[in-house]
Amino acid sequence: MLIPYLLLGATLFVLGLVGFITRRNLIIMFLCTEMMFQGIIINLVALGRYPVRAASAGEIAPPALLDGQVFALFLVAVAAAEAALALALVVLLYRHKATLDADAWKTLRDDG
Amino acid sequence: MSGMPFVAVVLLILGALGLFLALPGARRDLSRVALLVLAAAGGTLIGLVTGLLVGPAPLGWFLGCALVGLYSAIRVVTHPRPVYSALYFMLLLVAVTGLLVLVQAEFLAVALVIVYAGAILVTYVFVIMLAQQARPPGYDTQAREPLWGCLAGFVLLTLIAAQLFPARPAETSATSPLVAGTVEAVGARLLTEYVVGVQIAGLLLLAALVGAIAIARRRASAAHGNEGAT
Repeated sequence: MLIPYLLLGATLFVLGLVGFITRRNLIIMFLCTEMMFQGIIINLVALGRYPVRAASAGEIAPPALLDGQVFALFLVAVAAAEAALALALVVLLYRHKATLDADAWKTLRDDG
Repeated sequence: MSGMPFVAVVLLILGALGLFLALPGARRDLSRVALLVLAAAGGTLIGLVTGLLVGPAPLGWFLGCALVGLYSAIRVVTHPRPVYSALYFMLLLVAVTGLLVLVQAEFLAVALVIVYAGAILVTYVFVIMLAQQARPPGYDTQAREPLWGCLAGFVLLTLIAAQLFPARPAETSATSPLVAGTVEAVGARLLTEYVVGVQIAGLLLLAALVGAIAIARRRASAAHGNEGAT
């Protein structure tokens, strides 16, 4: 039962990645990063529920199985911080040029 | 690359093609068909993997949540109007919450709904409303390099999926003894083993709060003398 969860998480991550590459709206790009976080959360929790047993490790102690959920909680905290900062930046950029087009800011990148 | 069936590769190719055609900027009349192809390919892939590796056990809830999640994720990426993208993201959250309940992470599921749907998504919708224009601007209806983006996604997902298909199906999946993800169990773990992490997370959130206020309060005119400063 582990593999379908991992595949679904990977699919969500890849969809978010493709969206981040191809969309030009800054807000949608950040929504896509949130979607990648969702894929990772599914991965973490599924790995906690159906642990992969190493050949030599033997039984896994029950408290260790909650680690996936604890990590996912930290991930949610990081995602909240990221959303706050990213949206503040988007608002600031929108005030500068009144557009959400990421290409409007391409002068910020390196030459080449 | 051991045990990946040929059908899975075909489905992944179909999915990449569908995503390419469904992204904004491709031909308008094809996008609806492309969405159908994409959703069908994704659903068949998940169903195939589940059927191959787990067997036709009562997995209806998993498949249902996975399909809803996949479809709404596709719509987040492909919808030309940002408000609808945000709303579809909320639907994705509901699906993910269902999956978390299925793997007995009840507390995490509730926390996800409160934090994401209650706080993060509302902020997104606020900003989208703030920056809304009368008709959809060009950067929403025209994707940037959709071909290369879909190709990169296809290669990455194929590599990951090839690693996921094990040589022998029963290699993994020792279901852990039932530990409920209640507040008590997770909280005890959080406040004993990971208490330093909790402190650091609090510090991070505080820093993000102060930083966001500092960034958003800065006058645009102070840096650039041009219009639009309110």
